[in-house]
Amino acid sequence: MSAVVHGVIALVPDACTSCMICVRECPTWCITVESHAEQVSEPGARRPRTVSVLDRFAIDFGLCMYCGICIDVCPFDALEWAPTIDHSSASRDGLVHDTERLSGWRMHE
Amino acid sequence: MSTGMQTVPREAWHETFAGLVSDGFGYLDLLTAIDRGDEIEVLAQVVNPDGAELMRVSVRLPSDDPSLPTIADLFPAASWHEREVAEMFGVAFAGHPDPRPLLRRTSLGRPPLRTTTVLAARVAMPWPGAADPESAGKGARRRQLPPGVPAEWLSDGPR
Ligand code: SF4
Ligand code: SF4
Repeated sequence: MSAVVHGVIALVPDACTSCMICVRECPTWCITVESHAEQVSEPGARRPRTVSVLDRFAIDFGLCMYCGICIDVCPFDALEWAPTIDHSSASRDGLVHDTERLSGWRMHE
Repeated sequence: MSTGMQTVPREAWHETFAGLVSDGFGYLDLLTAIDRGDEIEVLAQVVNPDGAELMRVSVRLPSDDPSLPTIADLFPAASWHEREVAEMFGVAFAGHPDPRPLLRRTSLGRPPLRTTTVLAARVAMPWPGAADPESAGKGARRRQLPPGVPAEWLSDGPR
C-alpha cells in the first residue's frame, strides 16, 4: 500500500479490464462498472478473441467508506489512492464521480 | 514494542485483565469481536505504557450463548466497546454499568455483524456486481450472487 493520504480513489482506465472484482468486493456496493464485449482479431491468431471494453466506471462517494478494499483486490492495479479532497458536492447525485473525473485524479501516468 | 498474545477460557476473562492491570497494563487499546461461525471471538488489547508492552487477550464464546463478564470496572473505556460488541454481535456483558445500545436505537432484531444476519436492504437493492462480462459471448455461467443474502431470498426477476 502506498503512503499516500486516503483522499479519493483514482482510476487508470487503460488498466481496467472490467473484470467486476472490485464491484463485487466493495462492502457498500458503491462501484458501478458498465462494459461491452468486442471481438479482436490478432495477427496469427486462429480465432478472434472476445474482450470487455469499459464504457463507464463510477464510484458513489456518498456511500464509499474509503476502506481501500477495491484498491487491494484489483488484479490489474487499475485503482489507486490519490491525495485529492475536492470531490464534495452540493447535491447527492454530485457525489457520484465517473471515469473522466476518477482518472483525472491519478498521480502517475 | 513487544507483543504478547493469549487465549483464555471465559471463566478467566475478568481475572486475566485484573492481573494485567496490576502488572501495569493500564491502557485499553481496543476491544472488538469476530464471528467465527460456531464461535464468537472477543478480543481486547491492553498496553503497558511504561514498558511499551502490548498484550492481546482473546476468548471464544459459543455462538448460541455468547456472554462474558464486563471489564468496564477495570477499564472505564471498555464500556463503549462492550456496548458496541453487544449490539453488533449479540454478546451479553454481565455486570455492565450502562447496557444501552451505543449506535443503534434499539437492540431489537438480529445483531447486524453476525454472519447469519441477512442484510435485508441488500435484498431490495439491485446488486451492481450482477453483470458478468467474463461470460459475454460464451453462454451463461453460474449466476453471480450478492454476498450477505441467502439465495432463496432472491427473486428470479431481473436484478
Ligand atoms: S474504498 Fe471501499 S467502499 Fe470505497 S469504493 Fe473502494 S471498496 Fe468500496
Ligand atoms: S478490479 Fe480493477 S480491473 Fe477489475 S473492474 Fe475493478 S478496477 Fe477494473
